[in-house]
Amino acid sequence: MSMARPILAVLQREVLKLGRQRTRLVASMVRPMIWLLVIGSGFGAVLGSAGGLSYQQFLAPGVLGMTMLFGAMLSALTMVYDKESGVMRMLVIAPFAHYWIVIVKTLSAVVAALLQALLLMVLLALLGYLRFAAIDVPLLLLGLLLVPLACAGIGMLAAAFTKTLDNFAALMNFVIFPVFFLSGSLYPITQLPPWLRIVATLNPYTYGVDLLKHALLTGVEGRFAPEFSVGLDVAVLVGFTIAAVTIACVRFSGEAAFDSVIRVLTGKKTG
Amino acid sequence: MTACAIQAQGLERRYGEVVAVDGLDLEIGEGEFFGLLGPNGSGKTTTIHMLATLVRPTAGSARVAGFDVRADAVGVRGRIGLVFQESALDRTLSVAENLRFAGRLYGLAGGQIEHRAKTLLDLFGIADKYHAPTGSLSGGQRRALDIIRGVIHEPRVLFLDEPTIGLDIPVRRRIWRFIEGLRQRNRMTVLLTTHYLEEADACERVAFIRKGRLVTQGAPRALVENLGRHVVEFESADVDALLARVQPTLGKGLKEGGTALFLHPHEDTAPLARLQEDLGDLAAAMRVRRPNLNDVFLWIHAGADLPGVRP
Repeated sequence: MSMARPILAVLQREVLKLGRQRTRLVASMVRPMIWLLVIGSGFGAVLGSAGGLSYQQFLAPGVLGMTMLFGAMLSALTMVYDKESGVMRMLVIAPFAHYWIVIVKTLSAVVAALLQALLLMVLLALLGYLRFAAIDVPLLLLGLLLVPLACAGIGMLAAAFTKTLDNFAALMNFVIFPVFFLSGSLYPITQLPPWLRIVATLNPYTYGVDLLKHALLTGVEGRFAPEFSVGLDVAVLVGFTIAAVTIACVRFSGEAAFDSVIRVLTGKKTG
Repeated sequence: MTACAIQAQGLERRYGEVVAVDGLDLEIGEGEFFGLLGPNGSGKTTTIHMLATLVRPTAGSARVAGFDVRADAVGVRGRIGLVFQESALDRTLSVAENLRFAGRLYGLAGGQIEHRAKTLLDLFGIADKYHAPTGSLSGGQRRALDIIRGVIHEPRVLFLDEPTIGLDIPVRRRIWRFIEGLRQRNRMTVLLTTHYLEEADACERVAFIRKGRLVTQGAPRALVENLGRHVVEFESADVDALLARVQPTLGKGLKEGGTALFLHPHEDTAPLARLQEDLGDLAAAMRVRRPNLNDVFLWIHAGADLPGVRP
């Protein structure tokens, strides 16, 4: 059987749901705006500008990445925490290997993240935080594809290796916030203490934010400039995504993760 | 019996120390309407999940619709429908959107899905709900939609796990008529689990399982006849004393609140009248009635040895 129709079904559902969950969409716009306008103004007053760039302009790639991080990860993590939804039941009984569930969920996470990112970019443009002249369009398109993929990959890894991430608060505290704060989103990582810099360097999301800086902040020099090369960013993002999705596929094809999903779905231990 | 739709040999599933299903053998013919009965925790759901390839057996083998559940899980899943105990619907989507989603997972085209969906909704009498939000349906309608979701791809074998649980009696009857209508239409094999034994009378064959083992199986009428000609119920203020008095005569009895139940294998009820006289005030009342499937269940649940039971 061709996988085209199942993939289409999952993607279409994601778009339909996103369109209906207005609060989710509004929240995904409000969150980055709070960072940009409130935190950005506060830190901006302390940090000042560098290389002709205000702190808020420096923050624009970070909040764009943040929207994709939250959008993709919350969508990907429905693998474990969206138990009330019956959709997982339909997917596990469908006539394709279970690793396809990981792949279609990854793709739908990318679609969800991409739609939210596009909406945020309209807002950023309207508020004047996007400097159109400094945008490298091909790099931006690449970033809009690779960043959500890597974020969905982080979500899939978390889903594959945990049985306890069953509520929103746990997800936020133990997965999403660390990934976000320990990246170059809010501050250049070269300014961090050495041990934090090592953690940030190991965080694949750091390279996603860096790629977005390359795309949105061309020509910027000094401490607000991108910190890695485009080649390294792309290599890390692509490599990480392939590795993460492959590992998640293997986990969800094998007995352990698979059985726990089924048992969670049926809500019983035996019987 | 024609070719086998479901065939299981020594099927077993352990969860650590717990043995949920313990060496189950099943043979269910094509087109058969088969009921899997047993108390809570007896292994019914685990059995269905093993046959539907969602849970791996720890021992034994099974073939469903001609495919091995271990070697070709995808082949099995393509030919079965499974209606879970809990809903597999997305309440934020409409009826049409849910069915389109389900149908596409089986590679069906949009037009085909719409045609089947409307036919099946019409069969349950809710054709007008095609565009309705799933959340607006009544409990019975949602259950029917869940079943339609399970048969939209016209499976050869349909698994129904407690299809009428939590519904009131008129709705349960409607769901049963619907399942019967689907069987007539698609000629598919149906394996269901249920607690409502009066409903299992509609099955061609039933199997009782207890603690993951097959206790007895056969046509409901034959199982009931095997139990004996009559069930004798005594009401008593002291059921334990009554049990002690009557058991030497009638064999093992069951205590159900203030009532003691015994089996009487013979057609002649005259000895029972004499027994009641002997008991005097110990038996406040005696009722003699024909056994039913509930009695089979009760005696199995009590762990009693049944006449005519084959392990």
